[in-house]
Amino acid sequence: MKTCPRCDAEGCSVVYQSPVAGCWEVYSCPRCFFIWRTTEAATITDGTRYHPKFKLNAEKLGTFRNVPAIPSVREA
Amino acid sequence: MAYNDLRAFLQRLKDEGQLLHVEQQVNLEPDLGGAGRAVTRLGDNAPALLFDNFYGYERGKAVVLNVVGSWANHALMLGLPKNTPVKEQFFEFVRRWNTYPVSVQYMEDAPFYEHEITDEINLFDILPFFRLNDHDGGFYIDKACVISKDLDDPDHFGKENVGVYRIQVKGKDHLGIQPVPMHDMAIHLRVAEERGVNLPVAIAIGCEPVITTMAGTPLLYDQSEYEMAGAIQGEPYRIARGKQTGLDLPWGAEVVLEGEVIARKREPEGPFGEFTGTYSGGRNAPAIKVNAVYYRTNPIFETLYLGIPWTELDYMIGLNTCLPIYQQLKSAFPEVVAVNAMYTHGLIAIISTKTYYGGFAKAVGLRAMTTPHGLGYCKIIIVVDADIDPFDLKQVMWALSTRFAPGKDLIMIPNASILPLDPSAEPAGITHKIVIDATVPVEPDVRGDFAQTIDPPAATEQWEQTLRSLWNESLGKDK
Repeated sequence: MKTCPRCDAEGCSVVYQSPVAGCWEVYSCPRCFFIWRTTEAATITDGTRYHPKFKLNAEKLGTFRNVPAIPSVREA
Repeated sequence: MAYNDLRAFLQRLKDEGQLLHVEQQVNLEPDLGGAGRAVTRLGDNAPALLFDNFYGYERGKAVVLNVVGSWANHALMLGLPKNTPVKEQFFEFVRRWNTYPVSVQYMEDAPFYEHEITDEINLFDILPFFRLNDHDGGFYIDKACVISKDLDDPDHFGKENVGVYRIQVKGKDHLGIQPVPMHDMAIHLRVAEERGVNLPVAIAIGCEPVITTMAGTPLLYDQSEYEMAGAIQGEPYRIARGKQTGLDLPWGAEVVLEGEVIARKREPEGPFGEFTGTYSGGRNAPAIKVNAVYYRTNPIFETLYLGIPWTELDYMIGLNTCLPIYQQLKSAFPEVVAVNAMYTHGLIAIISTKTYYGGFAKAVGLRAMTTPHGLGYCKIIIVVDADIDPFDLKQVMWALSTRFAPGKDLIMIPNASILPLDPSAEPAGITHKIVIDATVPVEPDVRGDFAQTIDPPAATEQWEQTLRSLWNESLGKDK
């Protein structure tokens, strides 16, 4: 389990390991769905170096709009 | 001229010197994104790129980029010589478009049914996903054909949609998708969600280029992309049935995913570096559960680089964005000569038209904004006279600089609709739009001092041919 470099959520799990053993792993964040490969640049894999403009937290995630909007259910 | 599948088209590109096979081992990041950006700098005749040696994967995985990322490759897609000028490609496109519809051909033996997975799906086993641009929220499938139906009218073949939407890979069998409200798939999703049921979808990855191009074309809601692909390729389009969804699928696809959009659910998606040249903001977007995967042996993952224009996307959707606006405008106003909506998918469009009375050009410009595509694009419309080639920006700039009077020829429409990805929209989805009338005023709108334009001297065309011949001869002597 790792911490998400983008939203700092805990509990990011491995979704894939390189078929050639030991080269890299791919992780996925359960909160913001960020995905990264361990061989990517530190500016992507290290939360302290992730671009501040693209960092997320619970407050920012709460401002996301639904696209497209969810319509009303039809009357039976 | 039809290509049965992506592999047939890649072979044609190879035969024409338009496919560059990069054999050295590369990292999925940042090499593929970097190469995708770099190839756009090689000019209007740049090749497609094939990579098949990735750090961490056994040999056998392949990625192609920039498949129609040049006018040369676009011409080959149409079965034309690779040096066919853009304007000729446009009018050939128009000619074939007018043969719509061409009925489809159902086939039983789709190559993608060679392998089938319905349990313990892990999409990463099948395709080498990667990040394109540094701040993308994940790995994307950005050039696939997404097929869905209108559940209120499921037997209407024309309403079955084939579209290209950005798809974020979120997990082993879990995707995010972004159909913006103007797109046909958003209508299908709205119908399903009003009914409270999941929307069945199929995602076909790695198709021959005509159906992918048609999937990126703003056809009318009840027009079939498959029947239009048949018109463009000059013979019936081959399709196969999805085993789980019953949806119609491009027969030659490398990989097909079948699944469902989960009704009334949204999840964080993005940002993603978009065709506008900027990152879209993050949004809550629909989610897809993948239930089945079908694929050919050693499937080819086709993707395209997106970034500041021009990229492959601009070649892919340039002419086919012009076409429906041209056709729909011409049906209302036969005076329209040509439409260039090649820039940023038609956020700006240039229309050349004949004008018979004052105010006519402005009406043509306003009509473009109310075409189906114009509702989400056509933020800036430039209308020029019939003597101006809208594909020649030097001529357009001449018309703008000499025929446009800012005090009389600018119309602004406040608070109009626009696609949410336009970074200047405020709020997202709303913008002011303008029509710039750069035509010479005609009766009764008499104003200005538009003297006779300078026609070329009588011998000009003859001399152009003579000079070209002499120049070619002199180049030959120098060799």
